[in-house]
Amino acid sequence: MKKLKVSTGHLDGCFGCHIAILDMHEELLPLLDVIDIVRSPINDVKEIVEADLCILDGSIGNTKDEAVAKEFRKKSGKVLALGTCAALGGINGLRNLFGLDEVLARSYTENESTVDGRVPSSPDIPALRKHVRALHQVIDVDYAVPGCPPTPGMIKSALVALLNNQEPLLPKKNLCHECNRVHKAMYEPKREFVTADVSSIMELDEIDPQKCFLEQGLLCMGPATREGCDARCVKGNTPCRGCMGPTPDALEQGAKMINAIASILPAGALMFMEDVVGIGYRYSLPVSIMPFREDR
Amino acid sequence: MKAGLFISEGDGAISGVIDVRALEARYDGAEVVRVLDNLHCAASLRLIAEEVRNRKLDAVVLAGESPLFYSRTRNGGRILEMLQGLDINANRIGIVNLREQVSIPHAKEPVEATKKAKVLIDVAMEKVRVLRDVGMIEVAPKRTVAVIGSQPGGFFTAMRLLERGFHILFIDHRPVPPEGDFLPQVIPTIASVKNHPDVKFYSAGITDLYGYAGNFRIKLGGDINLRAGGIVVSIGDDAEYAGRLYPYLRIERDSNGHFRNVMSDTAVTETVNPGIFLIPPGPHLSHTIASADSAAMSLDALLSKNSVNHELFVSEVDQEVCGGCGTCIKTCIFKASEIDQVTKLSSTNIKRCVGCGNCVSACPTGARDQVSATTKYLMSAIGILSGYEPPNGIKVLYLACEGCGYPSLDYAGKEGIEYATSVMPLSVKCAGRIDTQLILEAFRRGFRGVVICKCSDDHCLNIVGNLDLDRRANLFRAVLGSRGISPERLRIFGVTSCEGGSCVANAMDFINHLKTLEATA
Repeated sequence: MKKLKVSTGHLDGCFGCHIAILDMHEELLPLLDVIDIVRSPINDVKEIVEADLCILDGSIGNTKDEAVAKEFRKKSGKVLALGTCAALGGINGLRNLFGLDEVLARSYTENESTVDGRVPSSPDIPALRKHVRALHQVIDVDYAVPGCPPTPGMIKSALVALLNNQEPLLPKKNLCHECNRVHKAMYEPKREFVTADVSSIMELDEIDPQKCFLEQGLLCMGPATREGCDARCVKGNTPCRGCMGPTPDALEQGAKMINAIASILPAGALMFMEDVVGIGYRYSLPVSIMPFREDR
Repeated sequence: MKAGLFISEGDGAISGVIDVRALEARYDGAEVVRVLDNLHCAASLRLIAEEVRNRKLDAVVLAGESPLFYSRTRNGGRILEMLQGLDINANRIGIVNLREQVSIPHAKEPVEATKKAKVLIDVAMEKVRVLRDVGMIEVAPKRTVAVIGSQPGGFFTAMRLLERGFHILFIDHRPVPPEGDFLPQVIPTIASVKNHPDVKFYSAGITDLYGYAGNFRIKLGGDINLRAGGIVVSIGDDAEYAGRLYPYLRIERDSNGHFRNVMSDTAVTETVNPGIFLIPPGPHLSHTIASADSAAMSLDALLSKNSVNHELFVSEVDQEVCGGCGTCIKTCIFKASEIDQVTKLSSTNIKRCVGCGNCVSACPTGARDQVSATTKYLMSAIGILSGYEPPNGIKVLYLACEGCGYPSLDYAGKEGIEYATSVMPLSVKCAGRIDTQLILEAFRRGFRGVVICKCSDDHCLNIVGNLDLDRRANLFRAVLGSRGISPERLRIFGVTSCEGGSCVANAMDFINHLKTLEATA
């Protein structure tokens, strides 16, 4: 059988999604019988070559990201956006709330650990784009697997589906569906429920590992977040931060979380109010209805 | 989709301002466009019916009168019945308010009024195109009527209905006063009703009330469960009692806290909640008796039918998308959102759902949608409305709730108050339906301000819709700020349903404020 030629590439991101590929561990081995990794930072092949499938992680932040993404698109049969940065713009996208000058100044001159800093300028350094964009906002993308990073299981399922000529399907429901915590107050048809006023997770001596976080007064982004991550944070007794992005039927994540939280006050509201924008749009600002600040 | 567009000249009142012939010539999205003298006289209705039949139309857009004409007057109601009798689904009837919200307030700007009318027609055409057909349920009416309150009017309605074989349930928060407390001339009627075998008296507070015209379920304190086909409210001028009943009856109240009828001249006993009738306190006993007879007549007509049809204008859940978070369960004041104990997914109890859409806004997944106005429709409507470019002035989206905001803007029209054409109205069922995503979309589409006119405190027909909007907006202002949009570009104010002057004054003040804001920026 002819092996599927796969290339992988890295754009604006933390490389965590490539690590997640390696985190498949021995489960990667049978896959290597049927796929051929022709180009990847993992095998250190630098030249972008023709492939049946290309897997790109990271968002589009600068001119190089854009050029690399376009080159991959040209040389690849199908393109898979891997991880939240590629699929939704990711956490890098939060810089869209600031002007480019502010971003550069913050990084190179205003940073507390910087002395006599200056914004580097050289033709060799790719120029930052004004706004961070998700991959599909720059090139045609065939499939996307969100997650920061996606679980190795999600990556494997996507690859297996593609090897069987099927489209990798993403779930449509929110995280509450795969979260096994017990809902009690949330299922009572009463307008308000009493929770402790929690403005930070550190305030609690103990977090009940069985009970819905919102019912404990803790902000959990689960209701406004797509499932599919195996609820790994929640299993680790940590509320969801929303890295899978909005469910496909919501138009965006931040506004939807506001709508929901306003109805279930005071659950999680104090924590949310610490930073409504930063929390609501942490991973998905570039795919928001208004993906950037217009006046900067 | 074959849609017919019928434009009214308003017997000259609309065509005197809006160039209806230009609209007729320019409209190519419809199967047929007709300009008629008006949309309510017998000849016009015959012509509309003929066009529907001959061209096999499945959608009709009526551009002329306000939606309130259709929902609050008998003639208007009969037109909707006629269209539904011709197999036009209720969701395929679009209404464009050319009279109160275009030709009157923009009487001095005929060119702009015509442009704006075109855009509003586009919105209605979009609505009949994108909404799905609404389903119906049939209710076999119960021949029992609940009379709430112990004022003489209720006894007179009861007497009339008892004569026609109905059963009567008297409900009051206190025992019925002794006959000696009533005017001498009404005592014989009260005595005869009290002695009638088909009458029962309950003195307890209402703790739950839901259902439809034809079949209401009423729960009283002390675990008493009652059923009635219709309800008559006869509490006189007891505003305090009205305040306690309002969350259950969902009838408009005036600024003094008294229940209001839908029209003080032609629909004296009708309320905004079908199947619930009101006997307003009259200046003379004769008024009360006339109202009592009128209510009895309406109830007899309603409850003597073999079946009453109701459109299921509810909140629907896509079970493929719902994850069972429970947000809608907590949102719904009517206990209409239910969680399935096995699947842990949400569903709507159609007997309880009033279709306000608060849960649709609240649903963080988008699994819930409003049958009468889907999110897709509202998003497109905002896009279409943004297409109107006023020659001068600041374009603002005017989101008006059907309870108070929209009727108020109509009252402004009725009162002949003029305002800028750049105020683009979009009606939503309830302030609670205003998903913050819609506000963001409005700014993305280029509106320079969003003004929301909702029911004032304690006047929301859906009890908490206006409160939930405020909570959402309070959190949402930070989002506007983060996008470089001054939070002052979103203004929310409350009115009761007949404050035309104040709602226009508020909108114009808002536009002036935006001008100042932009001049100083």
